[in-house]
Amino acid sequence: MAAVGRLSQKLLKSAVLTQTRQLSAAAAAHGEQAAKTWKILSFVVALPGVAVCMLNMYLRAQQHSHEQPEFVPYSHLRIRSKRFPWGDGTKSLFHNPHVNALPDGYEHHDE
Amino acid sequence: MAHQAHAYHMVDPSPWPLTGAIAALLMTSGLAIWFHFHSTMLMTLGLVLTLLTMYQWWRDIIREGTFQGHHTPPVQKGLRYGMILFITSEVFFFLGFFWAFYHSSLAPTPELGGCWPPTGIIPLDPFEVPLLNTAVLLASGVTVTWAHHSIMEGERKQTIQSLALTILLGFYFTALQAMEYYEAPFTIADGVYGSTFFVATGFHGLHVIIGSTFLAVCLLRQIQYHFTSEHHFGFEAAAWYWHFVDVVWLFLYVSIYWWGS
Repeated sequence: MAAVGRLSQKLLKSAVLTQTRQLSAAAAAHGEQAAKTWKILSFVVALPGVAVCMLNMYLRAQQHSHEQPEFVPYSHLRIRSKRFPWGDGTKSLFHNPHVNALPDGYEHHDE
Repeated sequence: MAHQAHAYHMVDPSPWPLTGAIAALLMTSGLAIWFHFHSTMLMTLGLVLTLLTMYQWWRDIIREGTFQGHHTPPVQKGLRYGMILFITSEVFFFLGFFWAFYHSSLAPTPELGGCWPPTGIIPLDPFEVPLLNTAVLLASGVTVTWAHHSIMEGERKQTIQSLALTILLGFYFTALQAMEYYEAPFTIADGVYGSTFFVATGFHGLHVIIGSTFLAVCLLRQIQYHFTSEHHFGFEAAAWYWHFVDVVWLFLYVSIYWWGS
């Protein structure tokens, strides 16, 4: 449901953008009003759109759990044919011990 | 004093193409040395040389165009063709990674569980950070258009404001993506899903950083009165590049984040 809301908002924004692009293309031939139009679009549509998405994210993030995903030692994941060229070679560049298991399982920490 | 009987720019001899070529060689071989022999010296040297080359070459172009007047209309037309062709080549670059993604995801192999996303992969929710990222880039497309019209109308303060806002949005995107990369429950080493995801989005992120840098240079130049309302091709090139980055993201979002989840 929320997904439909997001999608329609995005479509609406791009529809407005297209319309206004056509309008200001005509105005640009005129010369003067285009900067004002795009300034208005920036503060009334674009930035509020970003703000709404930020709110949406905040609300959704509160809803889902922060449990560690279950570890299943699948052979098609956590490939280590060649070690990474940093550290001990077992951790990816953006390794997150909470959600990224190593090939043998999650690391044990004193958390 | 020498005069030219044509409107074109016969460029003075320059060492930067040579240093650029040497830098590219050192960076690529340095990368291989790093992977196999764990030394970063050659790669770092190549990187430094690359940065120096870029700085000096582009500084020279600005001198030739803005200060010495060599960028006549025919010359500018050539520069426009050049930028368009370059962006076209980048489109093909990304096309390759999209090909790889669709090749693997349209017919997932039994090793992956015969499904996409593969068994055991928890994809990112496309309606959380990825959607915000989409809004951020779309918004930056609006603000950069505001900046362009401001330049054309001679509105100095508005140009600076809108350009700065565009760059801030670019940084926000980069920060959000970096956070996503850290929070993702899968890594680049997680089979073909991880490879296609991080290579495609990673190169895109690199292009966002490049585009933001290009725009930042334009901001500095705008502050220093380089652009006129009629002649500001450096800015136009940056804006084209930025729109290209935005469009690539839209394709990434729809293909990898949304359809691929």
